[in-house]
Amino acid sequence: MSYAIELDRVSKIYQGKKAVDQLSLKVEKGTVIALLGPNGAGKTTTISMILGLKQPTSGTIKLLGGSPKDIKVRNRIGAMLQDVSVIDNLKVAETIELFRNYYSNPLSLQELLRISGLEKEKDKMAASLSGGQQRRLGFALAAAGDPEIIFLDEPTVGMDVTSRQMFWDTIRSMADKGRTVVLTTHYLEEADSLADRIVVINQGKVVADGSPSQIKAETTGRVISFTAGASVTNDQLQALPGVIDVEWNGRRVKLHSRDTDRLIITLIEQRFEMKDIEIQSGGLEDAFQAIVHSTN
Amino acid sequence: MNQSTSMKATLAQCKAELLRTVRNRRFVIFSFIMPVVFYFIFTNTVGDNVQVGNVDWKAYYLMSMTVYGVVGASLTSYAQRLSRERSQGWLSLLKITPLPSWSYVLSKVLSQAVINLAIIIVMFVVGGVFKDVNLSASTWIACGLFIFIGGFSFMGLGTLIGSIKNADFVQVLSMICYMGLSILGGLWFPTDTMSSTMKTIAHLTPTYRLGQGAWDAVAGVSINWTGVGILVAYVVVFLAISSYIMKKQEAV
Repeated sequence: MSYAIELDRVSKIYQGKKAVDQLSLKVEKGTVIALLGPNGAGKTTTISMILGLKQPTSGTIKLLGGSPKDIKVRNRIGAMLQDVSVIDNLKVAETIELFRNYYSNPLSLQELLRISGLEKEKDKMAASLSGGQQRRLGFALAAAGDPEIIFLDEPTVGMDVTSRQMFWDTIRSMADKGRTVVLTTHYLEEADSLADRIVVINQGKVVADGSPSQIKAETTGRVISFTAGASVTNDQLQALPGVIDVEWNGRRVKLHSRDTDRLIITLIEQRFEMKDIEIQSGGLEDAFQAIVHSTN
Repeated sequence: MNQSTSMKATLAQCKAELLRTVRNRRFVIFSFIMPVVFYFIFTNTVGDNVQVGNVDWKAYYLMSMTVYGVVGASLTSYAQRLSRERSQGWLSLLKITPLPSWSYVLSKVLSQAVINLAIIIVMFVVGGVFKDVNLSASTWIACGLFIFIGGFSFMGLGTLIGSIKNADFVQVLSMICYMGLSILGGLWFPTDTMSSTMKTIAHLTPTYRLGQGAWDAVAGVSINWTGVGILVAYVVVFLAISSYIMKKQEAV
């Protein structure tokens, strides 16, 4: 199995402070992976090292099996970085054309204008675009070479709701074409709705890694709630396998569990008196907070 | 990546550089409008055929203003484009594209060559057509070639100024260098009108040395190798300092 990205015990030390600490990560091709973490967690530093813009203090990095500094590898990737402004005195279409010319198999100008939603703006000066439109232009440039891996560092910051929705659809269609997408975000909703895999980074380390539902389950777990009949007692519920916590609110019961699927079967098999059964997953927000707090 | 993609990328990069330059108002003002306007004003007020070291003023001053335009293109527009690219993250973005770094540098040099050549041709046509500056073909070519080749030394200075990341500061600094060096180097008023101290200072400036080659050619004086040496020394120093600064900025 060849991986799209392989990091082996990568560290980055800035002035004695560890920004990234012995981070190992393997990303399979075709994955949409979200790096999630609070500000200063080391997400952008990690991306910069994968792209070869920063040199790791120790450890090894492989991008598409090679070095990010290799021009052949760069021909197969694209990236949307933070804090990159548009180039002065060029129009939108001219900027995209320029980038298309860097790659051996670029997407067409029309296609790039379409996926970035800039068809109407193509003859405008890039510098005159709004913040959100400039981000979308950044996306068009990242996609210009029809990359196998696309890196998106906080892509939707500054985008309005419509732009964001359109952007998500584009990323999903890239994923459908088998592209690998690496995004960093602090919008949990974004990670939840786009990613197949979420890697939570805090203080330069991976603190959680899994599918969005696994991440949620691993931390706060899920909740089964129901209105209990008169025969149900607290002790009975506490004794059930897999129950972490029981909350009572009148006759309304909330059971917290890591594995609600098995718990609901047990509840039914044991013929508990239940009405209005609901199963909820804890929000990713809660999960994220829990992970970050436990590692701080 | 194959050869043809690199070529295509270099050409596209040149085209973009040229578009950005031509659309830069400051470039058009300082490299075309100002030299032409100055040329007409000072030839009309001083007199076309006043002699400056055995040369007609209109021919002498044409060379001065051509150098002035070429210097301006490197110091104002080139240095500022460079600084913006660095401070606004553009260079980082380019580093992850397959554009080879040699292609980036080559396209900067090529596009600056086209720009400098355009300034020289426009100025020479203006002088020849409107002021009847009458030089032999070989003198025109010698003057043009000297300014063209020597003009790259100001690309060195532009690179040095452009390595500073604060674009506002670059704008001010490049203006000060541009005006300062132009006046000190005798591009506005010939060094013959200066005091001896000023003249000594003037002879150390790269602007004077770039003008000197053309002035000498117009006067039929053979090339001054000390002047060429000083110009070359400036290029080496400018490029050495700027590459040191850029390496230092990158060593993160």
